Amino acid sequence: MAHLLIVEDDELLRDGLTAQLTQAGHSTETAVDGEQALTLGGSGAFDGVVLDLGLPRIDGLSVLRQLRQTLPALPVLILTARDSVEDRVAGLNAGADDYLTKPFNRDELLARLQALLRRANLPGAQAAAPTREHTQTSAGIRLDPQGWRAWLGDEAIDLTQREWVLLALLVRHSGQVVSREAVLAAWQPEPGESGGLASNALEVYVHRLRRKLAGSPLSIRNIRGLGYLLESVGAP
Amino acid sequence: MSGPSRLSLRRQLLLWLLLPQLVLWAGGGLLTYRIALSYAEKGIDQSLTQSVRALARQVKPVGSGLLIDFPKAAQDVLEQDPTDRVGYMVSSPPGQFLLGNQRLPAPEQPPLVGGDPVLYRGELEGRPLRIAALDLRYGEATAPQILRVQVGKSLSVQQRIARELVADLLAPLLALGVLLSLLFYGGIRRGLAPLTRLTAQLENRSIDALSPIGITQAPSEVHALVQAINGLLGEVARNVNQEKRFINDAAHQLRTPLAGLISQVELAQRETTDPALGARLAKVLSGADRSAHLVHQLLTLARTETTAQRDTLDLAELAREVAREWTPRAIAAGVDLGYEGAAHQPIQGDAMQLREAMANLIDNALRYTPRGSAVTLRVEAAGQHSRLMVEDNGPGLSEEELGHVFQRFWRASEQPGGCGLGLAIVREIARRHGGDATVKRLQPHGLQVVLTLA
Repeated sequence: MAHLLIVEDDELLRDGLTAQLTQAGHSTETAVDGEQALTLGGSGAFDGVVLDLGLPRIDGLSVLRQLRQTLPALPVLILTARDSVEDRVAGLNAGADDYLTKPFNRDELLARLQALLRRANLPGAQAAAPTREHTQTSAGIRLDPQGWRAWLGDEAIDLTQREWVLLALLVRHSGQVVSREAVLAAWQPEPGESGGLASNALEVYVHRLRRKLAGSPLSIRNIRGLGYLLESVGAP
Repeated sequence: MSGPSRLSLRRQLLLWLLLPQLVLWAGGGLLTYRIALSYAEKGIDQSLTQSVRALARQVKPVGSGLLIDFPKAAQDVLEQDPTDRVGYMVSSPPGQFLLGNQRLPAPEQPPLVGGDPVLYRGELEGRPLRIAALDLRYGEATAPQILRVQVGKSLSVQQRIARELVADLLAPLLALGVLLSLLFYGGIRRGLAPLTRLTAQLENRSIDALSPIGITQAPSEVHALVQAINGLLGEVARNVNQEKRFINDAAHQLRTPLAGLISQVELAQRETTDPALGARLAKVLSGADRSAHLVHQLLTLARTETTAQRDTLDLAELAREVAREWTPRAIAAGVDLGYEGAAHQPIQGDAMQLREAMANLIDNALRYTPRGSAVTLRVEAAGQHSRLMVEDNGPGLSEEELGHVFQRFWRASEQPGGCGLGLAIVREIARRHGGDATVKRLQPHGLQVVLTLA
């Protein structure tokens, strides 16, 4: 998918990263120190860089600063053992697009790289939110902001605007807890409403949405004092 | 501070300056009174001597008798002042009353006959008197007789004068004393101001502010103290920095190979089709994960001991945020994780550390409570402080075990994954926030960890 440069001085990890990224469908090259990283990275042949900070010869942060001078848009993910706030801030200030600490979770690394590459490929124009909503989830739900429509498989669900916004929010953060505040903030005040919604209004909407999802693999779980979470039954 | 004396320096100085002053003033007043009294007495004595001689001159022996020529006018003069009573008595032989308006007491030492009058103190009707007594000889030379003339004057006037004198003197002196005390107090305050400033500077410091104290205008004594403290602070700062560098180096040295190991094992797991090998690899992976967890906890602990930020943050919101992050794991563990308590609770603290503390508490609760249990985070105000509680309705711990939970590397069970540092870290973080962590059993079963944060 993408041509990536892995800068890592530890052989074991360099080898592991190469294999993991290759298996994920990327092509890779490796650099073992700062000098090599600058030579290879400056060539402009890469779609992205995974950069360690503690490097021999030239430190990772210096590598990043120099690369940034010629390639300001090159996606760079720092992968380092330094996990203090100061280090994160220094890394991001030097021009890193993301920062991940060792040891890392393979899926998280791949997901973050994916996000970086996607952002780099869509310069400026953030993928408009509505089009992103128009996606298929694992549970087979499809959402279309045009007319607040939604389908479960091939079956259309009849939703009000608020129910649609609520469902979209839950789907986008599927498997995560969505706070009541986040839902209330996403809802546009309806004409005649003076801002503050009665807090039990949300429960009413959740209740209605649950009924409409009844029979589907999707269920809205109430998380005590924290918000709501969309689960797909059958998925772990 | 050592020693039992908790008296402040200011109080000690004031005490030692004002107490002797008070004693001196009191002594001075007494002395003044005495001197005034003695001068007044001299005046009275003089007038008494004159009076007694004048009265004696009026007594003229006629043959063997006496003629007392005591005109009315003279009597009036002697008795005129009712407050300043003058008493006189003529007696012969001494003590045998002949004439007078008072019965005056006799002197202890009789005067020399024909000599000077004797002056002495006496008492009449309970009032002090100053008396002059003069003895004269009269009569024939063969049968001489002695005549005694006494004149007494009340001493109350004399005492009044002395008192007035002392009062007149003491009033301005007292005012002067008050003024002097105020000046002392002000002077001491001023003199000790650098110390007060130093105390304030040190008190307002967070634990981690190790920059030197900046007090430029200070007397040499305080300056020396400041320099000594600054020297110590510099030494501590150097040590802390060294420690920080060591922690970061250690982090790198430990984490990178662990990351490599984990990635290699994960790859091997995906590549193998042999279930027995797969199971072994899973064990290796779990061991590597545990090591990574331990490294993380050790570094967190070490870092907590050296640094702490102080930002304004909402403890309740932070607790909900952390709980939301842990919800998927709680669901996977079959535990009902929830939040109850205040909507908002602003505190000064280190968000990273508090997050770490909460994560440790939730991690523990999920690890040691069975499926179907509930774990609840709670934030509330506790007077000036804030309280964060994490409670579960799991099996809890015995009283004996409760005593060990905050010890490093102590573990309640052989449940995999824990390294025994979680609660030690939690307590360290609470203490870093000017509070503490406690743990107690809940009824009928369960465990509650309470963090009090300043």
